[in-house]
Amino acid sequence: MVNIADPVTQWAFMILVCVVTGTGLLIAVAFFRRWQQIRYLRYVHTLRRKHRPILAKLLSGAQSPSGVEALRELPLADLELLLDPLFSKRKLPERCVVFLQALCAELGLIELWQSRLAHGHAAALQSSGSGAHQVHADRATMRYVLRAKSIRNLGMLRHRPSWPLLVNSLDDRHADIQLVALRSLATLGAPESFAVLRERLHAIAPGKSTSPPLQALQAAMASFDLTCVPALLPSLRHPDHQIRWHATEILRTMVCREAARQPGLALTPELLTPPIVELLLAGLPVDTSAEIRARAAEVIVFLADPRATPVLRNLLLDHLWFVRLRTVRALAHLRQAAAPLHLDIRECLRDDHWRVREAAIQTLLSLGPEGKRQLYEHFLISPDRAAREQIVEVIERTGLMSALVEMYSAGTKGVDALLVEQLASDAAPLGLSGVLRTLNPEIRQRFLDRYLPYAQLIKMMLPEETRPEVERADNLQQVLEFPPCLAA
Amino acid sequence: MSHIRLFLDDGVTVFNLVVLSYFFLGNGIYTILMLLSLRATWVHIRQMTYQGLDALRHSPLTPPVTIIIPAWNEQHVIVNSVRSSLLADYPQLQVIVVDDGSTDMTLDRLVQSFGLVEMDGAYHPSIPTAPVRTHYINPTIPNLLVVSKVRGGKPDALNAGINLCRSPYFCNLDADCLLEHDALLRLMDPIVNSAVETVVSGGIVRILNGCETKNGRVLRVGLPGAWLERFQVVEYLRSFLFGRTGWHLLGGTLIVSGAFAVFHRATVIEAGGFSHDTVTEDMDLIVQLHQWAADNNRKIRMSFTSDPVCWTECPSTLAMLANQRRRWQLGLCQTLWKHSEILFGRKYGIVGWLSFPFHSYVEGLGAAVEFLGYLLIPLGLFLGMVPPGLLLVFILLGFIYGGFLSVGAVLLEELTYRRYPRFRDLLTLLVFAMFENIGYRQLVLFFRFQGVLRFLAGSRRWEKVAHVGAPAEG
Repeated sequence: MVNIADPVTQWAFMILVCVVTGTGLLIAVAFFRRWQQIRYLRYVHTLRRKHRPILAKLLSGAQSPSGVEALRELPLADLELLLDPLFSKRKLPERCVVFLQALCAELGLIELWQSRLAHGHAAALQSSGSGAHQVHADRATMRYVLRAKSIRNLGMLRHRPSWPLLVNSLDDRHADIQLVALRSLATLGAPESFAVLRERLHAIAPGKSTSPPLQALQAAMASFDLTCVPALLPSLRHPDHQIRWHATEILRTMVCREAARQPGLALTPELLTPPIVELLLAGLPVDTSAEIRARAAEVIVFLADPRATPVLRNLLLDHLWFVRLRTVRALAHLRQAAAPLHLDIRECLRDDHWRVREAAIQTLLSLGPEGKRQLYEHFLISPDRAAREQIVEVIERTGLMSALVEMYSAGTKGVDALLVEQLASDAAPLGLSGVLRTLNPEIRQRFLDRYLPYAQLIKMMLPEETRPEVERADNLQQVLEFPPCLAA
Repeated sequence: MSHIRLFLDDGVTVFNLVVLSYFFLGNGIYTILMLLSLRATWVHIRQMTYQGLDALRHSPLTPPVTIIIPAWNEQHVIVNSVRSSLLADYPQLQVIVVDDGSTDMTLDRLVQSFGLVEMDGAYHPSIPTAPVRTHYINPTIPNLLVVSKVRGGKPDALNAGINLCRSPYFCNLDADCLLEHDALLRLMDPIVNSAVETVVSGGIVRILNGCETKNGRVLRVGLPGAWLERFQVVEYLRSFLFGRTGWHLLGGTLIVSGAFAVFHRATVIEAGGFSHDTVTEDMDLIVQLHQWAADNNRKIRMSFTSDPVCWTECPSTLAMLANQRRRWQLGLCQTLWKHSEILFGRKYGIVGWLSFPFHSYVEGLGAAVEFLGYLLIPLGLFLGMVPPGLLLVFILLGFIYGGFLSVGAVLLEELTYRRYPRFRDLLTLLVFAMFENIGYRQLVLFFRFQGVLRFLAGSRRWEKVAHVGAPAEG
């Protein structure tokens, strides 16, 4: 049936044979890899199970010369396998890092990793001597993986003397190595390396180069301590606005991170140096780039300087909405900075842009009783329904609505009570419907006991033509789905 | 009579050439994609051993992300899906569920399970949508927002989610999907670490059937018991592990699963949001973004990473599978037709010259070519126009080459992620990979062909695949 002499058939047969062989090969490789993996995992498991007690003892700080000796007998490749899970951990306790660093130094691992970075993998094997030739065959083919792991480990161990090697790795031809080196430098936090990274920023930010990635460099620089901020001065003053922008962003991130760690953070000239403080007060807030002005606002709020208030007031009036947005958001961070600016923030509730209004509401709510009072007063007098809806939305989202209703039911007076009454009197009760439905029946009854006479009173007092189209009490009753007798 | 014979002869010869070109082009490109993916996935796995996700997790510069879950009649799966999203390991996360006018208990289950209360939220649409009715929140779960809206279809629900989203990136997630703990971090990694503006980042969707789950988490990965689902496991591996990875490497990503992908919000809004024109809004958006970027001279990047995992339920009955595949094929044809100007368009680069033509011919038209091939080639044989021996060898080659590619996908899985830990699972996958092309492929082809016919008939029907809930919920 099949004509083998036909050249087309011959070709088809050849392809068929190749494909069958290929499929068989793939299946064989799949089985082989599974078998190899099982064997490898068993080996690693045995190794770790055997040495885990010694390792745990050493990492707890206990002295164990015999334990160290036992580990020293292992080939370096096995030691790396043994310790690798520690370096892959999310966060190693500081105490552990100290003991781990000492252990790695004693076992010659730090030397091996440094050597890998300084001279490459082959030289590292020669220099480290014993047992290193047993490095797993397929790992040796992925040398950059070993380099990357060495960089990661040195960073995790906070091995300060290695910072020049990590800086050199920023020039590695492999992009991943550059990235890992940046992250390790950030973990290490050696102030000497900050200036080097700043120079990289100057080279990358204007778009002359794309490696290492700008975002990674920015994240790495932002991880440094605030004491490194003075080294940012040349970048903050740089004529290129891109560099100034990235430097301001780095400064902002450093300050915000520190503020989260240290709630009462105050930036003083002693901490930042006087030239940076002056730049923050007089230079960056009037920068031609709006992005810089916006980011600077988030640093200025932390300045312990009375001149910061008028600067922030001006930024709240900036012609670009996102500068106003960032400024008003920043004011929520620090009550002291915002205290003289309550009225200015309240003005932002009239802003044309809804995001600025929303941020102003959130800021006022975060500023304590005075901020809330300003917000509620604005709600009561504002004719703008969209702005009122926004205020209600934020009040609901923060869970304040049920607290307000409960307070009203308990007989509280003042601006809070007026707010609840106005919400309930609305034709479509703003924000109250959900809360009232889920309220405890007893509190709901108390609420109605107080509110319904008020509603009746208002209804009688208002002239016929100014009454809302929908009867308020009826509307409320409908929302609550009460039987008419109860509402009456 | 001789004229008819001549006409038939010519017709069959031309058709044979079309089938041959389809066979060689399709399989040739798939083989290249497989080889490319093999290397790329291998390297990626190695990278993860030293890169980790810690830097991203703790970086103050990691951008906030909003997960948008559109839901329509998803009462069986929605709670678990939202729970898994809320548990996702990501520093700044918001979850928005858009109930697209469900007529079942979807909304009630959400309200009960998460203790939600109604609120009167403001809605500022950047993209027009059907009206949003109610917002639901629980102040103790500040990062969850549920909105109910008038039914407008999945794209409309996604657009409503985009309008409500405040973060620079959003992740759309189907209501029947469970996110893996660190999937979002992995998905954001290429965005954060890219020198070029990455506007889309897609991940892999794996099949949940056969896995053990609890509280929105996959506890144990296993293969499903039914043959139909097992074939789909192999199919998903092939499609995601080397199909999408390969196209990503070539820079020709045309499909990112709408079940699970991260998008840059502002870019999507600029490109017009999810469109209602097709039944596969995910693919439509990707193609739309390519077109928008080329038209506006914008350099953007679309990324695909094969380790951020999202688990989804696959159809367990033939009827459900038919619905799903008909819709996919219909959507593919609609999208390719809608954006046909990309085809061989100079400014579209690899997308216009390789990816789009490949998808049009092999994936779109291919369903019809292959299906008709199964009908016309026996006709040619019957009429004596095709040598039977050659035909036999060719058919055998077709089956075996398909098996080769599927086995390649299983090998890729074995070399890299090895999600199916038992030896028996590997064996089962290999067996199903080898036999996928005998029977199952033809079945799916039939549904795809129906999809092509529906496209030609101008259908725009959205066929829903019902979900029964996570299997083996512990």
